[in-house]
Amino acid sequence: MTEGSTAGDGDVLPDADEDWTQAAQRHYDPEVEELTTAIIFTIADAAGVDPGEVKSPPLYECIDAPALENTFFGPNVVDVSRRGTGLVRFQYNHFLVTVRSDGWIRVFEPAEASSPG
Amino acid sequence: MADESRDGSAAGHGYSSDTASIPTSILEIDHVYDALGHTRRRYLCYTLLEDTEWTLDELARKIAAWEHDIPTDDVTDQQAEQMYVSLSHAHVPKLVDDGILTFEESTEGITAGQNAQQVLTALEGMGASLDSTQEAHARGERDD
Repeated sequence: MTEGSTAGDGDVLPDADEDWTQAAQRHYDPEVEELTTAIIFTIADAAGVDPGEVKSPPLYECIDAPALENTFFGPNVVDVSRRGTGLVRFQYNHFLVTVRSDGWIRVFEPAEASSPG
Repeated sequence: MADESRDGSAAGHGYSSDTASIPTSILEIDHVYDALGHTRRRYLCYTLLEDTEWTLDELARKIAAWEHDIPTDDVTDQQAEQMYVSLSHAHVPKLVDDGILTFEESTEGITAGQNAQQVLTALEGMGASLDSTQEAHARGERDD
């Protein structure tokens, strides 16, 4: 489980205790795809692999993406949430993923992976 | 549920208001509705009516074909990949969780789980004619 990394608190920084570098981002459109798919495609982009190669663990085991999709992008809230600043973050393997209520999905990797830090 | 007796007898599993008589191996009805509460999961369940063993890749192409209403051969790699990701990261693990499917990671093979029959019975009992096109696809009555 990835508890401890899921809170939002209006804080838009990925994590205050660690240096993270943004590796990929994607704007989610609820009318054309599922949030689950959009998140995995963004992670694949960050990892530099095809989305079909991102297999383990299933996102289902990390976060309830359909519930998040409904919370941020459901038909009854979408106009409100797009103006808000809701943020959920969780870890997927060594990546940190944030999903904002305005639709931006961002994937970060530890800064030391890409710089001498 | 207003008319419990009708639904209960049609399901053929001896459902009744006496919950104590339901074996623990049988899903609560909430799980059945939850499992069938998304189009792609209904497609997945329908496919079990046609065949009992699939690979994830086969299912991704088949379900993408249904959603786009095109023959399986016309599904693009991108459409198949999107569906593959959706199934493998969301819908298949959920159905595995409820014992409706089994998934073998090494071969990516999918078969019916111990609770599959209960869900299929519910699917047929809940007026699946609303989904008759899907059902026809799933039963292989469509040329593709």
